[in-house]
Amino acid sequence: MANTKVIAVGVAAVILIVAVTAYASSYMSDFDNVQRSSQDEGQTIALTDVPVLGSKNAGVTIVEIGDYQCPACKLWFDNTRQEIIENYIDTGKANLVFIDMPFIGNDSVSAAEATYCANDQGMYWDYHIKLYQFQQHENDGWANIDRLSAIAFDLGLDTEKFNECMISKKYFSQISFNKQKASTDFGANSTPTFIIVNTSGTAERLIGPHPYSTFEKVLDSLL
Amino acid sequence: MNNTFQTVYSNHNYILIAFSIFLLLFFPLCIVSEFLFLQPFVVLVVYPETLLSFLLIIILSIFSALAVSMNIYRVKLIKETKKIGSSIIGTIIGASAGACSCGPIAFSIITTFGAAGSIASSFLTIYEIPIRLSSIGILMGVIFVTTKSLSRECKIKSEFS
Repeated sequence: MANTKVIAVGVAAVILIVAVTAYASSYMSDFDNVQRSSQDEGQTIALTDVPVLGSKNAGVTIVEIGDYQCPACKLWFDNTRQEIIENYIDTGKANLVFIDMPFIGNDSVSAAEATYCANDQGMYWDYHIKLYQFQQHENDGWANIDRLSAIAFDLGLDTEKFNECMISKKYFSQISFNKQKASTDFGANSTPTFIIVNTSGTAERLIGPHPYSTFEKVLDSLL
Repeated sequence: MNNTFQTVYSNHNYILIAFSIFLLLFFPLCIVSEFLFLQPFVVLVVYPETLLSFLLIIILSIFSALAVSMNIYRVKLIKETKKIGSSIIGTIIGASAGACSCGPIAFSIITTFGAAGSIASSFLTIYEIPIRLSSIGILMGVIFVTTKSLSRECKIKSEFS
């Protein structure tokens, strides 16, 4: 009787391990495919295509690596971002660039694509702000295609154009490229990650939703 | 109950053990939950939205320290390890919640296990507060049962000696 139990538990454990391994390897192969396709198209996509908030001639660039479903990114957005904009970006001292690293779920990718579709109509940053204002729980559908379209409507975008852009997956390669850049070139493995770099190439990395005081010290030391 | 606490913590070694467990739990949890940043400067930041979560980490660390140190005392007294397991389970449940879903731990889980990892990580983030509360409940139960059994066992010991 005891032997039967041991065998049953053993078989169940083996099945579980095989299932998890199979699932993980199939997922990783999908990930590889995405990476390869974006590498193929990498020649036509560059980080210069990424929208910039503030003066392009600012002395310091803040690169924010984020995911629209990430609660820590929202925390930073709600508590720190505005003060940086008022004191460094509006004054021309710094500019801000957002690099998408959507990893929390499929809706993260759609949300990132939506910002670029909004950019086609000149409203990248407005859409970016709306996404963080509307953020709810991860993967609960708040950033599904219908909701993204509703946000576009709310902002007064041409929803027909916007929906066409989303359905055609026009910016899928751009988002894959951004994600790849974030993890390989910038070495990010969490969001938000910030790379703050000045014109002479001196850079400082901040990981997590740091308070304004930390940014103030880093920015002042790089200016 | 007070007598039991006095009996255990009259030995200063157990205060030291409790304090060490508190520190061992509190600081890593603060780092994982992104309250404490070590680079480029040491900064502790508690935003209004995360105040409850921070308070629960403090309570969880205190209760874990009490439960584990009292059970170490109990193990030494009667060589029975049953309840120390419950206090460790309570601590692990509480500690597993709130490891931010966009942090490096969640990133590794999601990139390794895909959708399953994403669901698990989202669950731990969304239900952070209830999970932490239930683990605090488990630890309170463990402390209550431990103090009861300690006072009984101490009485028996003193009657026999």
